[in-house]
Amino acid sequence: MKAEVKDVSLRGKVALVTGAAAGIGRGVAIELARQGARVAINDVDRADAAHITLQMVREASADGGIIQADVAQPEQVQAMVEEVVRRLGRIDILVNNAAIQPNLGLMDYDDAWFDHVMSVNLLGYLNCIQAVVPVMKGQRQGRIVCMSSVHAKRPTDFDTVYAMSKGGIKMLVRESAIELAQYGITVNMIEPGAVQVGRKIGNPRPIVPPDRVTEESRRRGARKFPLGRVGVPSDIGHIVCFLASDEAEFITGAAIRADGGSMLL
Amino acid sequence: MTNRRVALISDASQAFGIATAKRLAQEGVTLVLNGPPGPSEQVVANLAQTLQDEGHEVLVATSDLGDTETVASLCNDVVTRYGRIDLYVHTHNRIDRGAVASLPHVLVRDALNFNAKTAFLCTQVLGRQMAKQGAGCMVYVGSIHGEKPTGCAFSYALAQGALQMLCKEAALELGRLGVRVNLIAMGPVEGDDQQFYSDISDLYLDYQYKVPSATLGTADDVAEAVAWMASDAAKYLNGAIIRLDGGFLLHYMDHKMKR
Repeated sequence: MKAEVKDVSLRGKVALVTGAAAGIGRGVAIELARQGARVAINDVDRADAAHITLQMVREASADGGIIQADVAQPEQVQAMVEEVVRRLGRIDILVNNAAIQPNLGLMDYDDAWFDHVMSVNLLGYLNCIQAVVPVMKGQRQGRIVCMSSVHAKRPTDFDTVYAMSKGGIKMLVRESAIELAQYGITVNMIEPGAVQVGRKIGNPRPIVPPDRVTEESRRRGARKFPLGRVGVPSDIGHIVCFLASDEAEFITGAAIRADGGSMLL
Repeated sequence: MTNRRVALISDASQAFGIATAKRLAQEGVTLVLNGPPGPSEQVVANLAQTLQDEGHEVLVATSDLGDTETVASLCNDVVTRYGRIDLYVHTHNRIDRGAVASLPHVLVRDALNFNAKTAFLCTQVLGRQMAKQGAGCMVYVGSIHGEKPTGCAFSYALAQGALQMLCKEAALELGRLGVRVNLIAMGPVEGDDQQFYSDISDLYLDYQYKVPSATLGTADDVAEAVAWMASDAAKYLNGAIIRLDGGFLLHYMDHKMKR
């Protein structure tokens, strides 16, 4: 007897991906589109880049649209969700991805930056969850995937409040998972390690100061990744597709670390 | 200038703060007891009076520790008076009930700021002072709800998750400057079944018996742990999150409870 072969298809589903103009968000939008989902591409201010993401989504023969909103503003998030429902009919998948990382150390942060990072990274995720829950409740089904980080576990040593926001997201996911399970909504997180993305907001990530890059430091850097490479956005997109699929219906409140094994070294 | 150790307790109006103040006083630590503005102030004033009557050196503060300037001003007062600060004990602990789906954004921010931003600002400002001295110690009294969801007070859990990462980050940055930072993830004490009553999670159902010894923790358990973490006996402890719950979080088999 032949086993039934079933692919991971998201045909007919609608996904909303925040911060999808570039980087991991773009990679997630493209992979969702390749599985057949229609994708609402959110970003706050990178309109040109968002159009490129939309083009790539369409090349994957899926429909989609761009919805500008600042996830830190609850009213804008509410309006965004209403517009997605108006334009695409429903929301099956929310991917909370929009985040900032100013790369400030403990002593370099000020009040305003603390509030800003928390507003976007942590409260922004909450705003989006609060806005989509009524829609998903109505559908008796939903998938929420939150981009966390290996830095919800391991400190960064270069951005204190970023790590604090990821620690908060860990608990937001766990609390949401047990509270929203009754509506058929699952909530999970992915913990990416280093992923090749475009420019981030803020200072460049100070891995090694340029004047201290030596043959030895290069060798050490390469040895931080057991699989021999850093991540690419599609690595993360594949996991989102799985978590968003019908096959993942029993998984909630879980974290999948995707870092090529680097956290183990 | 004093030769005695100087400790700041961020909220000395709460049970954990009161017990810690009394415990540190026994060791001859000079105490700066802060009470956030409001009803806490009177509780702290009374505690200070009691300790002063016993001959302890106590300074009372009523700061909300809500922004850098406020914290810097308190730090300055302490250093002007005593010449140093050796220990910061973070005891801010406010549990606001509310569901993920419906708690207004502003209240979540309040909970985050009260429980975690205060610790962040104090760690920054007092950390600078301790680094100047070349030594110091921070102890955050946190909660098991930095790992285990509550099912009733998610904003508290968010703040606890953030506090855990602050501990690890600060342990690295301040560790290089002679300052250790650790966290106590406190488990259930009497009354927590009311505070954390949940329609979703039965975590606190029969909570006393989920502790293998069938004995709940007390504020004195926190105070003992703080005293140890702040002492030289714990000089190799840094960035640690110590679960202080008698084994409560390990519970799984209801029929094996000791009752």
